Amino acid sequence: MSARPAINGQWMTRRRMLGVAGGAAAALPLAACGSGAPEAESGGGGGGGTFLAYWNNAHEYEAYKDVVAQFEKDHGVTVELQKFQWEDLRTKLVSDFQSGNVPDVVEEPGSWVQEFALSKDALSLQKYLDKDGAKIGFPDDWLEVAVSDNTHEGQVYGIQMHYTCTLLFYNRKMLDDAGIEPPATWDDFLDAARGLTSGDVNGTVLNDGLSYSYPWMLQNGVHEYDADSGELLQPRAAAMEAMQFQRDLVHEHKVSPKPTTSLDVTRAAKFFAAERTAMILTGPWDIPIIKQSNPDLDYGIAPALTGKRQSTIAGGTTLFIPAQAKRPDLSWDFIKRITALKTETAATEESSMLMPRKSWAKEPAVQENPDVKPFTEGLPYAEEFRTGIYTTGKAGELEDIYKTLYESMLIEGAGAEEAFAAYDDAAKNILKG
Amino acid sequence: MELPKRTKRTKRSPIARRQARTAYVFLAPALVFFAIFFYYPIADILNTSMLTGQRTDEFAGFDNYTNAFEDPQARNAFTVTLQFAVATTVGAIVLGMGLAVLINQKLRGSLAFKLALLVPYLTSIAVVGLMWRNILDPELGILNRILSDLGLPTQEWLNTHPVATIVAVTLWMTTGYTMILFLAGLQGIPDVYYEAAKVDGANGWQRFRRITVPLLTPTTLFVSVMAVITGLQAFGQAYIITRGGPGEASDLFVFHVFELAFRARNFGYASALSVLLLLVIVAFTLVQLRIGRDREVQH
Repeated sequence: MSARPAINGQWMTRRRMLGVAGGAAAALPLAACGSGAPEAESGGGGGGGTFLAYWNNAHEYEAYKDVVAQFEKDHGVTVELQKFQWEDLRTKLVSDFQSGNVPDVVEEPGSWVQEFALSKDALSLQKYLDKDGAKIGFPDDWLEVAVSDNTHEGQVYGIQMHYTCTLLFYNRKMLDDAGIEPPATWDDFLDAARGLTSGDVNGTVLNDGLSYSYPWMLQNGVHEYDADSGELLQPRAAAMEAMQFQRDLVHEHKVSPKPTTSLDVTRAAKFFAAERTAMILTGPWDIPIIKQSNPDLDYGIAPALTGKRQSTIAGGTTLFIPAQAKRPDLSWDFIKRITALKTETAATEESSMLMPRKSWAKEPAVQENPDVKPFTEGLPYAEEFRTGIYTTGKAGELEDIYKTLYESMLIEGAGAEEAFAAYDDAAKNILKG
Repeated sequence: MELPKRTKRTKRSPIARRQARTAYVFLAPALVFFAIFFYYPIADILNTSMLTGQRTDEFAGFDNYTNAFEDPQARNAFTVTLQFAVATTVGAIVLGMGLAVLINQKLRGSLAFKLALLVPYLTSIAVVGLMWRNILDPELGILNRILSDLGLPTQEWLNTHPVATIVAVTLWMTTGYTMILFLAGLQGIPDVYYEAAKVDGANGWQRFRRITVPLLTPTTLFVSVMAVITGLQAFGQAYIITRGGPGEASDLFVFHVFELAFRARNFGYASALSVLLLLVIVAFTLVQLRIGRDREVQH
């Protein structure tokens, strides 16, 4: 039995102890700087200094800047929004957890909260919700899935900030010129892509991020993990069919260029804005890119495709507080302000981003926004592809081998039998470890 | 001359002891720095490599090490890295030496040529990676646009030959530096050898093979040792240019370790792989130094 001291129920490594000691030492001058500043609402927070928030680099909206300014004024702190791409944010965050020197609040891409709750790196928000939940409309005003995706063993660990899905964007003029209606099924999509491919114009461009493959899986009834059986990518035949369909769009029908291994998930949007493709599958996050690149582009947004059923991936970002955060009360106040209905509506007006509150969907600013309306209609049938994967404790490794599966088929053109056999071998090693 | 055998410890004079103490005082800051920033992290990695994966809170003995030898992904990463290191080392020697010999001809404009070749080495791998990533994009990259305008078939370097592509980018970045090293070596070879060889009727190739190459052995050894070490430790190329893909085709070892640590949070196993890589690098370096010592030519 280890004799090491425990914090928040977890054993401290030597590095973590040093980190905590270093963090405590670093906190002393900060606390001194903040003397005289108002305390946070619940006490134990506030107190000046820098309030550090890790943020996605594309989400620094004016609406949030206004909230930040008021927060700074009320608490006498300086808010530092450190911006990252998701991959880099993950690296930074995991390093922080190891050292014990963590930020006050984190925006994450929608699948980490439960993983970090399992590893005891995220703070349970239950005590705050028990006190403030009714006042902020939680959970009743949030879409059910936005609550369940942030819940671990009955406790809520994160508050959903954005909640979106991917739909079909199409170039209205290209489709009209070709006499093609926006496709509704996989067969329609293939026919349309064939009819729209000519010269250096592709019927479609499959996006680089592997998460863009998830809607095809969901439309074929596949989830990454079945918690009851402990099996991956089931039903297997449907999973193979969905991946093969995407592979064939590239290699067999040649209606899409190969995806690349780039981190640039805006590549498809760039093709679309340059009118080098007629159809892409993406979410509202690409709308600013498209509008900035080609303000005159006449595009439409159609409902998600139907394979065996109609579905699309539900996604979005969540705010959570690291378990080792030094001023959790202050962090909670920040989360409440950022996820307030007024803030959500202002952010949508500015960026067309979608939000998880039910009351948000009824706001005139949302109802009257032509870019937002199709997504509000898509959200009810949107689903999580990776449901329950965090319970394996191997979410990161399993995503890596899914990436290998995806790239081996879509980029290298491997057949489904071969690629899935390699996936199963790797999965077996990971799950037994 | 043989030194006399030391039979018993000789007593040092008070002055010598005082000087030794003074020396230790001056060395102390450096020793403390080394202890904190070099030896402690190595000791900590060794310790972590003996702990279990994600929580690193249980002793795992040598399990992480034995698992590494049964892990096909680790084997693949090692193979890819070995290919990369061998290719970049051979390329560094051939290109560096070749360009140095050319530049050593004292042609007009050689200074500008040297500077142009050195600039990529002074640029960070992040910038180089992003630049080549954009240049090589199969659809949006400028290189395929040029090929297309010339009526030549376009290529998918990153998709079809990812390792060869990152080798080429690495050589583009580092050749200027190795060229400068070889140039310094060349300029240290006395002209008298070449003049004597000319008198004996040796042609340019014979002079290169019989004089230049042997007398550049110390430089070649240094370049090869450094290239193998940096090749085995390469990370940025896989992280920025290919993300280790497609699939696992360009999964360099350090990138694989990085993914294990920061995506999978398997710190114990990632640490064990790091230690194994350290041992491989030490082994390669010792072998190279041994070979270099056997072939060294004095002049």
